Amino acid sequence: MTRPIIRIHNTETDEIIDREMNDQEFAQYELDQAAFVAEQKQEQAKATAKSKLLDKLGITAEEAVLLLS
Amino acid sequence: MAKQTFTTGQVLTAAQMTSLQQTAMLGGAASAKTASYTLVAADAGTAISMSNASATTITVNTALFAAGDVVNITNLGAGTCTITAGTATVNTAASLALAQYESGVLEFISTSSAVFVKSAGASANSMTLLSTTTLSGTSTTISSISQDYTNLAIYISAPLYSAAAALRVKLYNNNNSKTSGVFGSTAASISSGYIDFANTTTQADTITSWLELKQYTTNNIGIAGGHYGGTTALSSVFAGADSGGGVNGMTSIVVTTVAGTSTFSSGTCRIYGVK
Repeated sequence: MTRPIIRIHNTETDEIIDREMNDQEFAQYELDQAAFVAEQKQEQAKATAKSKLLDKLGITAEEAVLLLS
Repeated sequence: MAKQTFTTGQVLTAAQMTSLQQTAMLGGAASAKTASYTLVAADAGTAISMSNASATTITVNTALFAAGDVVNITNLGAGTCTITAGTATVNTAASLALAQYESGVLEFISTSSAVFVKSAGASANSMTLLSTTTLSGTSTTISSISQDYTNLAIYISAPLYSAAAALRVKLYNNNNSKTSGVFGSTAASISSGYIDFANTTTQADTITSWLELKQYTTNNIGIAGGHYGGTTALSSVFAGADSGGGVNGMTSIVVTTVAGTSTFSSGTCRIYGVK
């Protein structure tokens, strides 16, 4: 399986290299991916919980804002 | 080539012609000095370079040069090199002091008087384009960023990523350490070693994200930034600091996205150094 390609521009030599991620970069890439997925899930869970609460109360999000204002 | 008095019938050598050509084109090898120096008549029409870590002087005396003679002077050293009037008069509209890598031309208007014309160089608050990089790949790293400036201004124009995602910038030093300070705002966040912009990278109109990094060569980088776009109502500013000192002497940045998948199809990152 090929790894993602990254670009590196050395401003001192003006050399540009396009290559596959090395082991360290790929490990960090996978960590970032995992963190992103976890964050997405957390946000999704929050949205679902909020929606369920509004359903139980029988009000819309706008009405909840009005009640709290 | 030093100033000569040519005589009728004199045959010029190829080396002399080459040297004359260099001088005519304001080039030629410089006479390297490493200590304070007093100009001599043979310096007319030549270039002089000074290199010393401490302050030095170049002294100008009278009765050595004729009207129209010029001497190019460049300071390569860390110590300031000052053009000093000895027995001659030296006037200037700028400064007689040359900081490192500054240069100027001493133009004689008589045997006893010269004008020093200092070349325009980087001065306080000036901005210099350090690099222009076309974004490509899953991420684009811009490395070996000059440490010769006080602040950096970074502009990322029209980044297009194949999957919708917020733009992310990471700051690194030579030891591969990232920013560790924490800051959050409604439009962007600076945390855990990265700065996120709220705009996505697949919007059709041109969006520019910008960052200003104050004192980026230190361990306490000030960070300000934001983004703005064409027809989309996107505009925000944020500010923070890498107070954790994670980056001591930032040397590279990585432009990527929060999602981190797919690749950039276009976009440009420009970095400016600010004195």
